[in-house]
Amino acid sequence: MPKAFDAGNPPFDRLTPQEVETLRAALDITYFRPSETIIGQDTPAEALYVVIKGTIEERDGIDLLALLGPKDSFDSRALVYGKSGHAFIAREETLCYCAPKAMILGLIQSNPRFASFFYRDISHKLDELVRDEEEQRYGSLMRSRISELFLHPAAFIDAGDSIEAAGHMMHEIDSNALFVRDGERVGIITGMNLSKAVVLRRQSIQTPVREFAHFDVVTMRPDDFVSSALVLMTKLNKRRVAVHDGERFVGVLEDIDVLGFLASSAQVVAGRIERASTQDDLATAARETTAQVRALRRHGVGVEVIGEIVSDLNQRLFSRLFEMVAPAEFRTSGCLIVMGSEGRSEQTVRTDQDNGLILSEPVDEPTLAAFRADFSGALASFGFPPCPGNIMVSNPAWSKPLSDYLADFRRWIALPDDTSHLNVAIFYDARPVAGDAQLLTKAKTALIEMVRGERVFLAHFAHAIDTFATPIGLFKNLITTAGNGDALDLKKGGIFPIVHGVRSLALEHGLMETATDKRIMRLRDIGLLQADFARELSQAFQFMLMLRLDGQLAASAGTSGTLVRPSSLSSMERDLLRDAFQVVKQFREFIHRHFNLGAF
Amino acid sequence: MSSFIVISTSAPSDVIPRAIKRLFHQVSIGDQSYRFMFERGPADEVVAIDCETTGLNVHTDDIVTIAAIRIRGNRILTSERFEAVVRPEADMQPEAIKVHRLRQVDVAEGPLIWKALPSFLHFVGGRPLVGYYVDFDIAMLDKYILPFIEIELPNPRIEVSKLYYERKYGDAPPNTSIDLSFAAILRDLDVPALPQHDAFNDALMTAMMYVALRDMKERGIRIPRVRTYDVFDPTGG
Repeated sequence: MPKAFDAGNPPFDRLTPQEVETLRAALDITYFRPSETIIGQDTPAEALYVVIKGTIEERDGIDLLALLGPKDSFDSRALVYGKSGHAFIAREETLCYCAPKAMILGLIQSNPRFASFFYRDISHKLDELVRDEEEQRYGSLMRSRISELFLHPAAFIDAGDSIEAAGHMMHEIDSNALFVRDGERVGIITGMNLSKAVVLRRQSIQTPVREFAHFDVVTMRPDDFVSSALVLMTKLNKRRVAVHDGERFVGVLEDIDVLGFLASSAQVVAGRIERASTQDDLATAARETTAQVRALRRHGVGVEVIGEIVSDLNQRLFSRLFEMVAPAEFRTSGCLIVMGSEGRSEQTVRTDQDNGLILSEPVDEPTLAAFRADFSGALASFGFPPCPGNIMVSNPAWSKPLSDYLADFRRWIALPDDTSHLNVAIFYDARPVAGDAQLLTKAKTALIEMVRGERVFLAHFAHAIDTFATPIGLFKNLITTAGNGDALDLKKGGIFPIVHGVRSLALEHGLMETATDKRIMRLRDIGLLQADFARELSQAFQFMLMLRLDGQLAASAGTSGTLVRPSSLSSMERDLLRDAFQVVKQFREFIHRHFNLGAF
Repeated sequence: MSSFIVISTSAPSDVIPRAIKRLFHQVSIGDQSYRFMFERGPADEVVAIDCETTGLNVHTDDIVTIAAIRIRGNRILTSERFEAVVRPEADMQPEAIKVHRLRQVDVAEGPLIWKALPSFLHFVGGRPLVGYYVDFDIAMLDKYILPFIEIELPNPRIEVSKLYYERKYGDAPPNTSIDLSFAAILRDLDVPALPQHDAFNDALMTAMMYVALRDMKERGIRIPRVRTYDVFDPTGG
């Protein structure tokens, strides 16, 4: 009955208090010496182990797949499916809790939420995680306090003051409600009350506001829950409540602000971009876009949706800037494109400028030079850092006529050098944002035609998935390690292999989609990927994008860190990450077979 | 148990009288049904024990709680444990309450030590007893066992601070500063620090220390010593 056993650690947090007690009573603790095998490859396990201290190696033959640390558990597969595909070996002196197999199987039978942790299929586990997150999110919103919301200021007017004076005051303070002081009592008067008095009751604007004010004011305190406000407004059919902190009125809460808090305000940013008349307006909107990402994530919006919203906002921003900066002829005879992750709509936290310009025919060189400097300069001032690879409009290689691009493509494919594959990859992900989209379609169609059947080129292209090994040593819980000691690079280890493998297959089959997700679905539809695997691949990808986004948000705003610290993840997330890397490994093997990369 | 420093250097002079006592008690035992205490327990099994007491004086203080956990090989059988809260004869001293956070009301609800002893003795049997300053815990228990069945605990004793001393200081040069405190052992073996002054937790931590130290001994692994004396800092910081 070790009381120290942490029942808050997933998946044990899904057990009822009674189940936790039963489990605790049945736990033993086992010590393993270094290099002792705890579960052999393809052998059944008699217990579920939870690491107390030390490090466990998860191995597939001689391959080291992962290092498990405190609070990690193993191995659900060995327990439920009778054998583990992997071996588990102590790397150092290790202590583990051992939960007897029969007890865990019993809990799996009786508790479906607990059981979901043991599903073989990562996408099922993810569904559970999402459900938990949604509960948290709903919970956090409903637990928010009124003081966290925007309140209209508490402005007072005397009951004897005129309708006219009230109207002016509302206009000045940009509020639709005023407190009315009438001797001892306090009421509220709204813009609608004033309008009705004048229009419907044909009162003079000099009439005192006393007789139009409501003195049955609904009052709440700043530390009341937002949910209570919502309930009260609905029940009493009030559009606003007064907020009183015990001593005085501190403001007015309107239903629209509650709804605004519950929903996101991305459309507000979009509107601001559309209405922008100067570059300064756009700079403000760009800053708000960044803030939106944080808000959306906090509200539990899925990372693929955030990607779409951000891409949409950025597209509007680029498009509006293009209208401001580009000469009229560019707008009709040119196409502004975004490439790379922005092209795939997978950009969440702003990274760098990956953009270009395709012109239908050569233009006046000084005009073009001025545009290049203006456009990239403006984006830099909005906080889009220049592309380190210099893939942006300011580089003449990425702002030129279509015919020049086509010549590049031929050279890249016929005589590939170090940068050719990267250039093909980045251009193949391009998406039009402003101007004549047909130009990009023509360029891409030409690129696809040139690549078609070029087995050797495609194999070399796909080979880049082996640039980075899937990182190991990720799961050790080095809480005490300073610096980047335990951080892992999700982009290199997991996201890049999926993006590039999918891109290689998509290019081979001439798909026009750019988003990795949509490409996976199309590859499934044409029968290249099995439906189950396509779903797993897509889910694993989304999960890693989400972890990366959380890492980026956690890192100070503005930096584009792709490092994720396993010690900051929950053990459930670490377990899912293990599964996700397993999917990446399978996918790499698939790509190897498909493009016959064994030859390299 | 508090974190004072113990060095068991008096082994030979201690062991001989203990062997004689054992022989004596084998004859003098009052209740023949407890003869099993003199038989060897199952091979490769030991029992980690810890008592919380009202104070540190064997003559005047009393046992408040007893915890014992069997260890089989490298497996600590927390699922088969012995734990009992017993009523002390003496009133609890307020300082002791602060040490182990048991209120008198908790103690009052527990069975009398006379009720707890039979199941305790059956639980440990002839297995060696593992503890931190285990002589103290055994002396405390003997105070009740002797009038109960007219023997003292005959079990072999395993002192974790001694195992630790061998692993860390066995080859130390003279004048090495020696720290055998509970906290130092926890730290060196990287055993998780559970809330202390709970007999079960203390016994469990002792058990974890024991399995680690025993393995290190088998493999001939030593615990590295770091210099603990202050190093002169030329910067004056």
